[in-house]
Amino acid sequence: MKLCEECRKEAASVFLTLAVNNKVREVHLCSVCAARKGVWQGTETGAFNSSDIVGNLSGYFKDFLPAERKALRCGACGLTYAKFKQSGRLGCPDCYQSFEPQLTELMLRIHGSSSHTGRTYSGPGAPPPSRAEAARRAATLKTAIQEAVKKEDFETAAKLRDALKQLEGRDG
Amino acid sequence: MAEALKKFRPYVTWANARGAWPDMVFSTRVRFARNLADLPFTGRAEPRQLDGIRRAAFTALKETGLFPRGHFLKMESLGQLEKGFLAERHHISHGLAFTALPAAAVISNDEDLSVMVNEEDHLRLQCLGSGFAIEETLNSALKLDEALGRRLPYAFSGKFGFLTACPTNAGTGMRISCLAHLPAMSRLGLMPQALESLSRMGVIARGIYGEGTCVLGDYYQISNAACLGRTEEEFRVNMDRVIRNLIRQEIAARETLLKGHAKLHTEDAVFRALGVLRHARTLSYGEFMRNISLARMGAAMGWEMGLDFSTFNQVTLLMQPAHIQAAAGRALSPEERDVFRADSLRKKLL
Ligand SMILES: [Zn+2]
Ligand SMILES: [Zn+2]
Repeated sequence: MKLCEECRKEAASVFLTLAVNNKVREVHLCSVCAARKGVWQGTETGAFNSSDIVGNLSGYFKDFLPAERKALRCGACGLTYAKFKQSGRLGCPDCYQSFEPQLTELMLRIHGSSSHTGRTYSGPGAPPPSRAEAARRAATLKTAIQEAVKKEDFETAAKLRDALKQLEGRDG
Repeated sequence: MAEALKKFRPYVTWANARGAWPDMVFSTRVRFARNLADLPFTGRAEPRQLDGIRRAAFTALKETGLFPRGHFLKMESLGQLEKGFLAERHHISHGLAFTALPAAAVISNDEDLSVMVNEEDHLRLQCLGSGFAIEETLNSALKLDEALGRRLPYAFSGKFGFLTACPTNAGTGMRISCLAHLPAMSRLGLMPQALESLSRMGVIARGIYGEGTCVLGDYYQISNAACLGRTEEEFRVNMDRVIRNLIRQEIAARETLLKGHAKLHTEDAVFRALGVLRHARTLSYGEFMRNISLARMGAAMGWEMGLDFSTFNQVTLLMQPAHIQAAAGRALSPEERDVFRADSLRKKLL
């Protein structure tokens, strides 16, 4: 029976296997520590997610975040870099700008990349799409228009054309 | 007690074993972490701001039309037993259950969609699917995310993507997980090695210890480790490949358990397990999970267990500690729970 690696007292009741920087690591936690870190005691719960546990392991971020001699602080929410390093939690969306160089390094280590390539957000208050993103979306819309016309679904085609016009208007 | 629970249906659709490989994958879950722009994350926000977020989320979620006759539950209105029930149903996390902040859980009537409001992130959207169903589950989760994103301003940056309180969730904010049932690999002692190679494929595996060093019910939760730097589709394709690989290994392990001399021992273990489930007068959760795991594998091997996978799954949910107490209508001591569990199981199996 393995001991919990957080409190080093109780028998472990949960384990995780993950690779960090290509090194496989097993994490063992007792039910009390696991509960504190996001696993419901003794039962199977899907709402818990493994990454939350990882993000809560003591010292996890300390190992990956660069040391800073200057006392950094987020101008928007007041969170200090030292506090972030200790808790692993940022205070507000602006923290991502306030600590950008440090986060870039952290992201490279924990995600293997530091820039987002997935879906972009286009809802209220969204930043205007980059030129490349706008071109990608326009291409997708054009294909969809062609398909709709082929299926003689002119109502959809008209809606898509409006969206395309709006996108191109924004870009130009 | 537990007024809120009376409105929940006894069975949930995501556990009906309809998806692919229901004997190997119990359920699939896709989660998106989202935050509202121009507001501190939950941990640094004022209660007044969090209350505003909750109100805005309720309004926006109702407007999506995806939650007709849904449950809109404020956490402070729920007791511990109700929270335990929701956690066992995979709708809320431990963090949400114990928060003192104005938080909420919004759950669709069929329980496929749920949203945690003011957990570590303002919004945690999730979609649950039955069996191995990554594509469908992802599509439903995306539909919810898009509908909500049109109504609420999300915190997003071109560089880091969707911004979350913990940098481990930033980027796509997406976590895909499958709850894999791997009794044959576990029985043959193949899991430690398999888990090591899984982690090299970019996923995190998690298990809960049952009795001794056995993993509770031989269930392993497999989720994508990273969520930044690749597209949602690329993460989906990788998870799909990982789970298919795991399914192939479990099929091979089940074949080994049916070969030659091994078959008798497998059959013996499976039917002994069925005997315990049918006849026990007191049954702990750990013992229940160990035996139902074998019976479930027996059913997959074509032996008559008297239950289909859908019922196996529903029973697995219903036998959890908070579900037992919800069915009893009151808090029970662990000993009382074990008796109640054995009694209600006997009624279902005979
Ligand atoms: Zn511990
Ligand atoms: Zn900040």
